[in-house]
Amino acid sequence: MKTLDEISRLSADDLERIGSDESIPVPEDLEVRLPGRSPERAWYIAAAAALLIGVGVSGYLGLQQPKDTFEDPYLAYAAVEKAMNRIAGTVQYGAEKITETESAIDKINYWK
Amino acid sequence: MKRFYIILVLLTLSVTALAQNGRSLYNKYSDLPGMEAVYISPAMFRMMGKIPDVEFQDGNVNFGPIIKSMSGFYLLNATDPKVGADLYADVKKFIDKGEYELLMEAKENGEVARIYSVGDEKTVTSLVMLTQEGSETAFISIDGQMDREELENILAQAAAE
Repeated sequence: MKTLDEISRLSADDLERIGSDESIPVPEDLEVRLPGRSPERAWYIAAAAALLIGVGVSGYLGLQQPKDTFEDPYLAYAAVEKAMNRIAGTVQYGAEKITETESAIDKINYWK
Repeated sequence: MKRFYIILVLLTLSVTALAQNGRSLYNKYSDLPGMEAVYISPAMFRMMGKIPDVEFQDGNVNFGPIIKSMSGFYLLNATDPKVGADLYADVKKFIDKGEYELLMEAKENGEVARIYSVGDEKTVTSLVMLTQEGSETAFISIDGQMDREELENILAQAAAE
């Protein structure tokens, strides 16, 4: 039997020649002795890991309590009031669009 | 390579599918550059509820009663177009997956404004506003037990001013 050192000194051609030499018997339990890693299994593990990481990151983002922006309730109140005015502005914008559309429809109906 | 992409998609889907609520969106975006972010906790709302009388600076509309029925507030205002586009897409996913009902939508020249709510005939438990104007994207999410009629009246009153 060759030592590892001897094998490492062999050229690629030598290795190919030895590999194609059918006179060398292949041990019957070679597959048992040298179990290959199933690429399928590795991909399943990777997919499961990706899902776990995803769920972990999601959970972290969803549960982590943010820090209050204001310490003064009056400032917080003012910020909410400002946001409510902003929402009201959006409502007003939408109402204007409805009025404009209704007016355009009325004009079309008038000329029909 | 195909399998690698499948795993990448799985990772992305699992993060985005589960991480969609006001808090997770706030946690994801609030620290990004160019982002205006405001968070008001339920504890702060309880403190605000104890404020006896507030001088209202913006018009004559009294938001007091409705603010006192709120319990959570998230505001994200993105000025970076790339971040804004991501935020817009994430909010849309969060809305589409939830029980949100579209209250109002206005579109003009690429600008979009939408208001959504969750609740029943009497109570609004969540109110969301999403707007995209030019390079700016704004998201406001308010949680609470808000009386629907009172909320609609106050918003109509403020809109008329």
